[in-house]
Order: sequence, then structure tokens, then C-alpha cells
Amino acid sequence: MSNQVWMVTFRIFRKKGNLKPYFEDFQMEVKPGEYLLEAVERIWAFKDRSLTFAHACHHSTCGACGMRVNGKEKLTCITLIKDVVDDDGTVKVEPLRNFPVVSDLVVDMGNLFLNLESVGHHPVISVVEEPYQDGIAAGKGSEADYIRLSDCIECGMCISACPVATTTSTYLGPAALAGAMQASLNPDNGVLKLVDCADGVWRCHSAYECSEVCPSYVEPGRKIMQLRRKVMAERIKSIFRSNN
Amino acid sequence: MSTDTNKPAPSHWWKWFDPRKSDVGNWAFILNRITAIGLTVYLFVHLVVLYQLSQGPEAYNSFLELAKHPFIVLGELLVVVAAIYHGLNGIRVGLTTFSDTSSVQKAIFYVIALVAIVGSLIFAVRMFTA
Amino acid sequence: MNETKSVRKPGEASGLWLLKVLLGVLIIVLILVHLVVNHYIGEGALLTWEDVVEYYANPLVVFMEITFLIVVVAHSLIGTRSIILDLNPARGKMKIIDWLLIILGSVSVIYGIWLALTIASFSSS
Repeated sequence: MSNQVWMVTFRIFRKKGNLKPYFEDFQMEVKPGEYLLEAVERIWAFKDRSLTFAHACHHSTCGACGMRVNGKEKLTCITLIKDVVDDDGTVKVEPLRNFPVVSDLVVDMGNLFLNLESVGHHPVISVVEEPYQDGIAAGKGSEADYIRLSDCIECGMCISACPVATTTSTYLGPAALAGAMQASLNPDNGVLKLVDCADGVWRCHSAYECSEVCPSYVEPGRKIMQLRRKVMAERIKSIFRSNN
Repeated sequence: MSTDTNKPAPSHWWKWFDPRKSDVGNWAFILNRITAIGLTVYLFVHLVVLYQLSQGPEAYNSFLELAKHPFIVLGELLVVVAAIYHGLNGIRVGLTTFSDTSSVQKAIFYVIALVAIVGSLIFAVRMFTA
Repeated sequence: MNETKSVRKPGEASGLWLLKVLLGVLIIVLILVHLVVNHYIGEGALLTWEDVVEYYANPLVVFMEITFLIVVVAHSLIGTRSIILDLNPARGKMKIIDWLLIILGSVSVIYGIWLALTIASFSSS
């Protein structure tokens, strides 16, 4: 089984400069248990050195390798080939939606990073503020002594899947709003005022595609709703405060 | 450096309605938007058409004869189905906003879909056999 | 980054969104009332002109129908505005659209109230 070799056609989205985009087919011998990113890498290495794609850690921590595979957002370093195509089949590989394409499979995610920064999202955070899903086996000291990498790996797949982000780039988006939810744990930084606007929490239409495609434990859709409740609670509290 | 390809744009509005490669929650959003537009169009047509009521019995009753046409009855059934679905999904939106039920939004959608289908069948039978 | 800018952009913020949801709830209630009341007055699927006039002879019905009209028109136009907002129009364009929606809503409600009162007046003549 582990020595099985498949012949798969990779239909890759190509775009260079201002030329029209097109799809290019690459026939590759792959093992079904390999990851899609490895196949893309081999296409670059042995078939076409002009193929541009983003990748770094290869173990779902950096968020660089998000692409659309057969139309669905996937983190390609953890997407097994056998889960998306069969022997002699064709798999379509495209860049993420709702971000401008730089070249081939690479998109410009500057907007995402700017939004994350503007809401004060912390990539490294205390375990108390962002607990692990399954808890931690604490060693020395208390939980407050431990820090961790935030669940959000900033892959941008949630924005690619969001129907609102299709037509407007001013929407803060699921990743930034989930980041704002994390930042709102510090009550003094004004993030609740920042997201309480048309392009913030109120733009979401409850499609929850963001939560569907998130490869981590962020649940952006749920965080947006939690943020809405926080914003409403804060507004109610401020009515009573101003009456004092 | 970056091109305009894939950039968010108002011209991509038709993509809102593409249900492929998305999950249940997105279908809920698509149906909500389609029913919203349909019901809005119906609302204003309905208001205009009801003007006949102010013109006396002959005007209105002759309009009613037209409204008995199966095509119109089917249109009215679609309005009822749209209203049932839109109202129920509205409940789903309100529920997941005001309570921490986002993690079960898919299950809520399935319940809504079931209720909408049953409600639609009941109205369809009533409207076409009356 | 601990300092965040406080920027409130115009558009559908919490007020309008909450109003839309509240109106939605009212519509559900009023539709149920409308269906029940209609069922007790009319026998068939379609009422004749005479049935409608008799129905509108009751001032509570007139009140209920006018309330229903206002609630539905408001919810529909706020919703329409949401859809237009998703297209990210420029601020200037959005202001024009806002005014058009307000005018459409006002005209519809005034017309609807006139129509309801006209039908109600037929029963006393």
C-alpha cells in the first residue's frame, strides 16, 4: 500500500504579470499518502521553475500554503492527495479567493496582516487568555506562567471562503474579527469601538464558511458572534455609565 | 506588484449565489438573500396591485379572476415558501448572535429546512386544492 | 500593538442591524396574527371585494394591517440596504441610495395607510 504509485493530473492556475490567467496541466507520479504541497513542490522542481507558490513550515503552523483544491480552501501541507483525487484523476489547484493574485498560486495578504495588527491581535499569548482546546498538562507553576502561539495561523482561508469578502475589501473579515475578540480580553484598548461599525461585526451574514475552512481551532464565525454580544453589552453599560 | 485578479470587487456579486464548494451555512445565506430579494419585489408589486381594491368591486373582483390562474397561484406559493424560509433563517441568525449556538448552526439549519419543507407542503396542498 | 484607533464608519452599524432583527421578530408575530384573523373572516383562499371591506370594517384590523405594512416595508428596505452595502459603494453614492430608500419607504407607507383607510371607509358608506 505504501509503495502504491498513482498518476494524477494537477490542473494549476497560472498567472504572470498582467497576462490573462489560464490553467496548466501537469501529469505527476505521486504516492496517494503524500501531501498535495509536496506534489506542487515537485512540479516546481522538475517541471516548471517559474511556478510560484508560498510555503514554509510544512506542518500547519505558518499558514503560508493555503490554496483552493477542487474549489475548496485547504492547507496543502496537511491535505493528503488521496483525499482530493483518485488514481488517473485530475485535481484543480488555485490561489485563495478575495486576495489579489501576485503570481500563480501566491496572493497578496497584506490587507489581512494590516487588519490583524489594527485590532491588536497577539500571535503569542498567555494560555489563560487563549486556553488550548484540550487543556494543558501544567508542569511547574500555574497556568498563568505559560504562553503559547495563538490558534490563528493567519492563513487567510477564512477570508477566501467568506461571501462578504468577495465584493468588499473594507470588511475587517473573520480572521481580524476573531483577532479582535482575542484582543478585547484587554478591556482598555478600544477594540470594541473599532469593530462596532458597518465593516466590522455587523457585516457578517452568518454563512459560517470561515469556521468550516479554518484549519485550526479559531472558529471565527463563533468569535464574531461573541464579539457582537460583547459590543452590545458594552453599549448598554455605557448608557448607564453616561447617566451617572 | 499584485494584479486585480481575485481582488474583491462589486462585479463579483454573482459569486454570492454560487453554492458549489461551500457548506450548509453558506447555502442558508444564499437562500436568505434570494428570498429577501424575491419577497421585496413581491411586497411592492403586491402594494401596487392592491390599488384595485380602491376602485370598487368590479375592478378588484376581475383582478381576482386573473389571480386564480395556476401560474399566479404557483407564484403565491413561492412567496409563502420564501417567507417561511426567510423567517426561519432569520431566527437562526438571531439565535446564533444572541446566544452561543454558532457551533450547532448546521443542525439548526437542518431543522429549519425540515420545518420549511413541511410548512411549504401544507400550504401547497391548501392552495391547490381550495 | 496595544493602541487601537477608534474609528466608527457610517453604514449599518448596531442600531440598524438590531432594528432589522427586531422588525423581523415583529413580522413573524404579525404574520401569524394576520393568518389567524384572515382564516376566521374569509372562507376561501381568495376573498371577494365585499369580504375585504367587511374585514377592514374592524378598526383593530386596520391598525394591525397598517402596523404590519410599516414593519414589513422598514425591514425590507433595511435589508435591501444591507445587500447594497455589501457592494461597497462610495460614501456619496450611499447617501443618495439612503435617501431613495427613505423616499420609497415613506411613499409606500403613506400610500398603504391611504389604501387601508379608503377600504375601511367603504363599509361606513
